[in-house]
Amino acid sequence: MSDASPQLLDISSDDPEALLDCYAARGWGDGLPMVAPTAERVDAMLAGCDGDEVVAVLPPRSGVATVRIIAVNAVLAGCRPEHLSVLVAAVRALARPEVNLRGVNATTHPVAPLLVVHGEAARTGGYNSGLGAFGPGNLANAATGRALRLVLLHVAGAVPGSGDASTQGGPAKYAYCVAENLDESPWGGYAASAGVDGPSAVTVHCGEAPHNVHDMESSHPEPILDKVASTMTTLGSNNAPVSSGEFFVMLCPEHAAACAAAGWTRGHVASYLYERARMRAGDLRDAFALRAWAPWQEAIGDDAGMAITEHPENIKVVVVGGPGKHSCVIPSWGMTRSVTVPVEPQRPSGSTAAPQGRRGAPSEAVARAARERSERERE
Amino acid sequence: MKIYAPDGAVGPTPAGLAPAAGVLAGKRIGVLDNSKPNAGLLLGRMADRLAARTGATVSVVERKNGALPAPDDALARLADAEVVLTGSAD
Repeated sequence: MSDASPQLLDISSDDPEALLDCYAARGWGDGLPMVAPTAERVDAMLAGCDGDEVVAVLPPRSGVATVRIIAVNAVLAGCRPEHLSVLVAAVRALARPEVNLRGVNATTHPVAPLLVVHGEAARTGGYNSGLGAFGPGNLANAATGRALRLVLLHVAGAVPGSGDASTQGGPAKYAYCVAENLDESPWGGYAASAGVDGPSAVTVHCGEAPHNVHDMESSHPEPILDKVASTMTTLGSNNAPVSSGEFFVMLCPEHAAACAAAGWTRGHVASYLYERARMRAGDLRDAFALRAWAPWQEAIGDDAGMAITEHPENIKVVVVGGPGKHSCVIPSWGMTRSVTVPVEPQRPSGSTAAPQGRRGAPSEAVARAARERSERERE
Repeated sequence: MKIYAPDGAVGPTPAGLAPAAGVLAGKRIGVLDNSKPNAGLLLGRMADRLAARTGATVSVVERKNGALPAPDDALARLADAEVVLTGSAD
């Protein structure tokens, strides 16, 4: 591996235009103005933590994502130091093999990693989980989402035309970050349901931009979730021919409250959607000669309803948003799995040991206990 | 003023391109169909025509998912070939 220290470049002034010109000449940037990543700003972003720690090596460029180079991109995007640990956790999550980041970056699909911030980090970082959570208007959501994209552009090499073959691109590729509305979730936090039991976590889900679900008139789960199921069942989604694909169902607090008032848990919502989000198997076969279905699905007759995903656990339910009755569905790219990891304090500079409170992935037993406890609390 | 470059270092690449095979006469040609539309047809015909023109033989044809790396067992079978044709996009 070559020297991981970032290169220093000369620019004529602190004007945004000088930075844009310098970067554009090298194929860097997302097209928007950026904050100049001077040594002083990057040091302030690092706030004394170990910048040399290698978080991940990101494909297709095989770029080495040290904490320092992540901090450089955080400065460029306008992040504050309190956002760095969230961003580092997101990069760590994206590097997990089940995400299939090489495919995510290289595909012709408009996929972008959605970053969901859970728990204490969302509160202390000022992330918006309420009204207008997907944007615009909140610095933490906008800057952290943008910084993650800049890491993918610069470090991973997901540059349109070379490392990113997306046919049309997509607005979610600029910034795609939201916080979970834990205060108004009737089922506790999503991260605990995913087996990460700690004060703060992030989830990355590589999917499409949000698909709206509008229900103004219903106060019971069934009609609301039937509209969610309708939104999930579209022939235009990669999840139609890829049965292992996940859906993130981002329920607004009012829709979630209607489900909870009827005694439905997060798991009940997923099970109902699994039963209701179906399409005629023959129509799916007619639409897709190339299918990545589970073997048992090929045995389903043409006139039977085929579940749009092969298992209810592929339907993830998170509470996001403020007052109103709009939820959304975020289908995945297909050949990717979401990942939830804890947000950990950054290792102090000069330290080789993990800082106090730093935790690895929970054991399966711990994860199972957390899920069972979470289920008991909801019942 | 000085600013940092945003890209950082490049780590070790997981694989590199093999050197060109040179003369194909007597060589074994493999096909790795990545399941993209018509990839199998295109790559298969290319392999057949190359074999007919050069005296090579088509020894192995494998198929993989278009979005995932080729599985190890498919790569092991392809290792028998000196030349592998693959890589067709949408």
